[in-house]
Amino acid sequence: MAQWTKTPTGEKVYEITIWARGVTQDMEGRHLSLLLSKAADKEGKFTQAWDNYADLPDRVGVPLRKYARISDEEIEMRYAYENSEPNMSIVMDDTIVKGIDVLRGMQKGGVLVVNTKRPPDEILKLIPNKELLKTLVCVDATGIVGGTGLEGLDFMGSEGGVEAASVGAGISAPLVGAAAKATDRVKVENLVAVAANKAGVKAGNKTAVVKSL
Amino acid sequence: MSKKYCENFRIPKHLEVPMGAVIPAPVKENPNMKTGNWRTERPVIDHEKCTLCLNCFVFCPDSCWHLDEKGERMVWNPVYCKGCRICVESCPADALQNVNELEFKGGVVRLEKPY
Repeated sequence: MAQWTKTPTGEKVYEITIWARGVTQDMEGRHLSLLLSKAADKEGKFTQAWDNYADLPDRVGVPLRKYARISDEEIEMRYAYENSEPNMSIVMDDTIVKGIDVLRGMQKGGVLVVNTKRPPDEILKLIPNKELLKTLVCVDATGIVGGTGLEGLDFMGSEGGVEAASVGAGISAPLVGAAAKATDRVKVENLVAVAANKAGVKAGNKTAVVKSL
Repeated sequence: MSKKYCENFRIPKHLEVPMGAVIPAPVKENPNMKTGNWRTERPVIDHEKCTLCLNCFVFCPDSCWHLDEKGERMVWNPVYCKGCRICVESCPADALQNVNELEFKGGVVRLEKPY
């Protein structure tokens, strides 16, 4: 384990990497990392949430990364702008699992959360390095929220752009609910308090299929 | 830059290195820019309906459609297709159809880097 992923007392910082599709899920991915860090912040933990600079500028459909960090102690990982050893990986579109190594850098015993209609066994077939996983969570976030999945499309980066929706109104809400099922770092009640789509967080937490490996 | 070239033109020492990044031009496909994992849906062709009008060949922004050697069928390149659906929209014979990527076993280049 790299030295810089630890806190002063030697405990590892809990790192979360989020994979989203460019432009169409850019805002929802940003909200996902914000929600997780805000909810952990409510418990008094130290958190960080940010976008991956190397993936920008994003184009429609490219796999993007967003990051979050949760720690009981102060995070002193200065100048480390990417999560080198993520404990949890959240994939916002199931086809990303097929096209890219979403578990890169993960140590044994990690968690993978996938937004998919399909059962966990079908997703596991697409992951060649699945021995790293301890838990796989599948949730149909797009189905819970409904719509075409393009509601999260915003043009905040362009001139005159404004934030179209409040934080956690789209598919990020069920996904954080599902993520809370696999980790004890964030609590569902805190996520419900932070997210705009409160029913979505609860539904995601309820309907997520957890498979232990 | 070669020593001979510099001598001929008397280029100052600090300008010997060319400006910008120089990469070799791809002959047909660029292996450093594989974009197959951008797509969520792939176009599937029905060869019986296809009239070989070559609309998909003309409209494809990534040149992923081409005729095979015999000139009987259209061939799709899965390595560079981004799933933009332009070919599906431009097909006058309705021979192309969008199918979710996970319905197929292979076809996507599993990349170590994002793109």
